[in-house]
Amino acid sequence: MRLARRETATLAPNRLPPQGRLSERSSQIHESRDRVPSVRSVLRTVLAQIEGARAVLDAAPLERATFDTEPPRAVDAEPVENATSLSAPVSGAPTTGFGAFLDGRQETRVFAWLTPIAPLVIGTVSAGIQRREGRRMHSWGPTVVERRVYAPLALLDAARLRRACDPLPVVETLTQDDVASGSLHPTLLQERARQSAMRDRELAEQRVAESWCQEQASPLFVDGGIAGSERLSASPQAIGVVKSHRTFYGDADGMLAALSLRNGERTRVVRIAPRGRSPVHSWYLRLRDPEGHDVLWGLVRVEVAESDDPAGRAELVSRWVMAERVPLAVPDVRWDRMAYGVRSVEQALGAAAPSARQA
Amino acid sequence: MTGTSNGVDPTSEVVRPLGRVIATERQPNTPHEFHFWTALDAPVGIGTIVRVEGTHPVSGHIPRIYGVVTDGKSYTDVPSPIFEVLGYDGDPAGVALAPTDRAEIRLYSAAVLRQIPEEPLQPVPMGEVFSATDADVALALRMDTYLRDEVRTAIPVGIYHAGTTSAPIHLDADFLVGPEAAHLSISGVSGLATKTSAIEWLLASLFAHFPARKGSVAAVCFNVKGPDLLYLDQPAELSDEDRAMYERLGVPAEPFPHVQYFAPYKADGRSLNTIRSNEELVHNVTALTWGLQEVLQFAEVLLNRDDVDAKADALIDFIGEKLVNREFHDPRLANGKRYRVRSFADLEEFFRDVLAHLEDRGGESWRTHHAATIRKVRNRLINISTRCAGLVTDDGQTSDLPWGSFQDRTVYVVDVALLEENAQDLIFARVVSTLREHLERRTLGVDHVVVFVDELNKYAPGDGPDTYVRKMLLDIAERGRYLGLVLFGAQQFRSQVHRRVVGNAGTSLFGRMDADELATPGYATLSAATKSKLATLAKGQLMVRHPHFTQPVFVRFPRPAILLGRDGAERFPQASDVSFEAALLGALRKFDPSLDPTWVAKMRALYDDADLLAVRNAAVQQRPADVRRFFASRLASRLPAREAEPPVLPAAIRSLPDDPYAG
Repeated sequence: MRLARRETATLAPNRLPPQGRLSERSSQIHESRDRVPSVRSVLRTVLAQIEGARAVLDAAPLERATFDTEPPRAVDAEPVENATSLSAPVSGAPTTGFGAFLDGRQETRVFAWLTPIAPLVIGTVSAGIQRREGRRMHSWGPTVVERRVYAPLALLDAARLRRACDPLPVVETLTQDDVASGSLHPTLLQERARQSAMRDRELAEQRVAESWCQEQASPLFVDGGIAGSERLSASPQAIGVVKSHRTFYGDADGMLAALSLRNGERTRVVRIAPRGRSPVHSWYLRLRDPEGHDVLWGLVRVEVAESDDPAGRAELVSRWVMAERVPLAVPDVRWDRMAYGVRSVEQALGAAAPSARQA
Repeated sequence: MTGTSNGVDPTSEVVRPLGRVIATERQPNTPHEFHFWTALDAPVGIGTIVRVEGTHPVSGHIPRIYGVVTDGKSYTDVPSPIFEVLGYDGDPAGVALAPTDRAEIRLYSAAVLRQIPEEPLQPVPMGEVFSATDADVALALRMDTYLRDEVRTAIPVGIYHAGTTSAPIHLDADFLVGPEAAHLSISGVSGLATKTSAIEWLLASLFAHFPARKGSVAAVCFNVKGPDLLYLDQPAELSDEDRAMYERLGVPAEPFPHVQYFAPYKADGRSLNTIRSNEELVHNVTALTWGLQEVLQFAEVLLNRDDVDAKADALIDFIGEKLVNREFHDPRLANGKRYRVRSFADLEEFFRDVLAHLEDRGGESWRTHHAATIRKVRNRLINISTRCAGLVTDDGQTSDLPWGSFQDRTVYVVDVALLEENAQDLIFARVVSTLREHLERRTLGVDHVVVFVDELNKYAPGDGPDTYVRKMLLDIAERGRYLGLVLFGAQQFRSQVHRRVVGNAGTSLFGRMDADELATPGYATLSAATKSKLATLAKGQLMVRHPHFTQPVFVRFPRPAILLGRDGAERFPQASDVSFEAALLGALRKFDPSLDPTWVAKMRALYDDADLLAVRNAAVQQRPADVRRFFASRLASRLPAREAEPPVLPAAIRSLPDDPYAG
C-alpha cells in the first residue's frame, strides 16, 4: 500500500476531487470472480469506431518504463518517545503478531494511440489480503480487480471514446494545469495515466484494509503507509511498513541515526502528520545487517496509529515485523525489506489479475 | 456430459474436486498424459485413478478423461535452496520458528487410461479433477465390457484403494485363460511370499468366478521349493480386513476343497519324498512313479545334447519303436530269446545280451548301431533309474496323475521340491506334455488347465542352453491358449526369463521389485515414481498389467485362505523316516484299512523288499479294495525268498578257534 507516495506525489491543486472520482469509479469495480472485460475486445471496438486510432500490441508496462518523478526529500517529524538516544536495539525476541498481509498491484500499458500525442492506456489494479492460518497463507475476502481506460479526454471526443470503450470506464488523466500550460508531451500523458492508476490502486488497497480492520481483530501487515486513510491511521490493527524512503521523516540527526541503524535496531518514535494526511506514529527499523550493502539495505519505516505508549507499541510491533524476516521473500529484488506474506499476496494478485497483455 | 450419459451412476459423483488440470507451454497436456494440482492434503498418490471433467463440449459431448497418477512433484516458491540457508543462518531448526510456511504445490502427472468420447482423441483439456468412483474405475479400465451380467467374464484380482475409493479390479477370463490372450506372469523379490500368495488367491478367485458357460478349469501346480503349496486344503486364520475383501470380491474365504497331491518316492522306495508326509495329510497324497515307457519318451530331458547325437538318437528311437512293450526277437541274441521290454530291468537285460553278442562275435555293430553307441545309450538310460530313483521304477509300474479324469475346480499339486534337478525336469516335461496331448484330444476331463510354475528364471531362462523344458514352455506360451493350457509363471527376475515367455503373458503381476531389476530395459516404460513404488510395495499389494488396462494399476489382494507353508510345516511336521513295514502299511491302508502290521511282517518275511515294493506300486496304481488278495495274486508266481518262519541256522561243524565271529 503506497498511501505515503500518493500523499507526496506532485498533484495539481485543481485536479478533480478524489471523492467525485471515487464515486465514479466504485460502480466499475470487478471482483476477481467476475470476468474482467478483455483488452482485445475493447481494442477492436476502439479501432472500429475511432478513425485514425492505431493499435499498440507490444507496449511494455509503464511501471517498467517510467521512473519516479518525485524528488527525494526530508520532512521534519515530532519525537514522541522519551528516549535518551536516537536509536536502540529492539528488546526481546522476534515474535509472530500479524494475522494477515495486504498488498496491491497495478499494471498500465499503452494499447492505442488516438492521435500522435494522445495515448490510450489500459490499467489493471488489484488489492487483496492473505490471512495466515496454521503458518500457511490463505486468501481472505474477495480480491479486488479493476480495469480502466486512462486517456486525455480533454483532447478527444470523450463521449465517443467512452462508448467505444464500454463497458470499461474511461478516466481523464489530464489536470487543468496540464491543459492550461499546453505542455502536452506524450510521455507526460503516459505518466499521468500511470499516476492515475496508482491512485486507483491506493483506493482499492484502502477499501480492502478497512474491511479487515472493521471485521477482524488481529493485526494487518500493510505493505506501505497507513496515513492516507483516516480509518486505517486510527486503527490499532493496521500496521504500515514502508519499504521506500524517497521521503525521509526526521531532522538531520534523525536521518543519520536511521541510516546508521544496525541489524535489529530502531529509531525513536516520531509523530508524522503530512499535509492532507492523518497523523501516525512512525519509526525506522533495520531488518538485516547492512554490512557490505547499501545504507538502505533492510531498512523499513513502520507506521502505527497514535497511542499513549509509543515506546511500548514500537517495541512490540518491531518484534512482529522482525519475525517476518523469514522466509526470505525471494526472488523479489526487494527481499531485504519485504515480508514473505506480502510477496505471497503479490503472487496471488498476479494470478487473480491477469496482465493486459494476456487478457 | 452427465454421469448418466456415460453410463455412470450420477449419485456416485464426488462433489468436491480433488484437483484441477494445469498445463503450461513447457509442460503441456497431451492425449496420453496430463498434469493437475491438488490441495496439500488431497488423498492422491502414485497409482491413484482420477477423472477429469472437461469444460467445453467436443462434438456435442463434454469430454471425460480417466487417468492414473504416474508421477508427483512438490516444490515451493524459493528459487534456490541457498536462500533458505541464508534466511535461517544455516540452522535448519530456525525454520520451525518462522511464522509462515512457504507456499507449496502438489503437482501430479497422470497417464490417460481412457477418454470418453474416444474420438476425436484430443489433448486432455483443462477441467476439474475428481477422485474416481467404483463406476469410474470400471470405465477407466474398460472393465465395463466384461462386467455385464450377460457376458460376464470378470475374475477379481484385488481391490484398488485410494482415499475413500475402494473398487474391485477384475481381469477378463477371456484374456487370462484364453482364447483372446492367456497366461500370467508374476514377478517379485523372494521372501515376501507375495508371488505364491497371489497365485493361490488368483486361483481361488478363478475357480469361484470362471463362468460355467466357458467350461471347466483345473490347476496343476508344481511345488518346486519349500512347503508353500503343500497345504492348499488346510484353512488359515484370516483378519477381518481380509474377510471383508473376500466378501467384497465374492470369493469364498475357504481353502481349496478339492486338492490332490502327487510326489515320487524317496530313493529307497519306501516313503513319499514330500514334506506333506504327516499322517493326517497323506490321505490325498498319491505316489508318482513312472516306468520305462513314460521316461523314454522324454529321454531328451535327461540327456544332454552331447549325449543325444544322431546315432544315439537313432538307437533310442529303435528302442522306443521296436522294443518297449513289444515282442522283440533276434535269433542272434541269447539263442533267439524273445524280449518284451517293460522296465529298466528288462532293458538292462536286453543291453547285456546285445553287448554279449558283440563281444562273442568280436563284431563292432548290431543292426547298424555301433557298439560304442550302444554302450553310451545303455549307460545313459540305465542311469536314469538311478538318477531319478523313487520316480522311475525298474519294474515298469506307473502311478500317475489322473489323466482323462481331471475334475473341474480341482488343484493337482506335483511336489518336486525335494528332487534333484534332472528328476524335476523330467516330471515337469512329461506332465506338461501329457496335459497338452490330452487337451489337444479333449480327453483330459476339463477344458482348461492352469499350470503354475515357480522359478521360471530357471526353467525358461533368457539365455543359456536351449533345453527341452524351455522349448516346451515357449510352446505353451505361444500356442497354449488355443488348447486351454495356461501358464501361470512366477519369477524373481522377469528380465531373466525368456522374452517370448513373458511377452506372451497377457497378464503381468508385480510385487515388490528389486531396484536392480527395475533398472533393466523391460521397465523403461514405467515412471521413476512408479518404479519407486514398486520397490517398496508392501506384502499383499500388486501392480497389475492386463490387456484391457492401458496403464498398470495397483491393487491389494487378501491373504490366501489357506495355511501358509511355514505354518503348515510347523502344524503338520514331516513324518520321520519310517521302517519298511510302516511305509508299506501306510501306502496300502488307504485302499484297505483292514491291513495290519502282522500281515506286513509276514509278507516281508516271505518275499524280497523289491518284489513287495513293485506290487505296492501296482496296488497304488490300481487301488484294489482287497490288498491281501492283490498281493497274493501278484506274488503267486514268485517263490518265497525266505521261509515263513525264521530259518534255523545250521550249527558249525566245528568252531575255528581263532575266529572272533564264531559262535
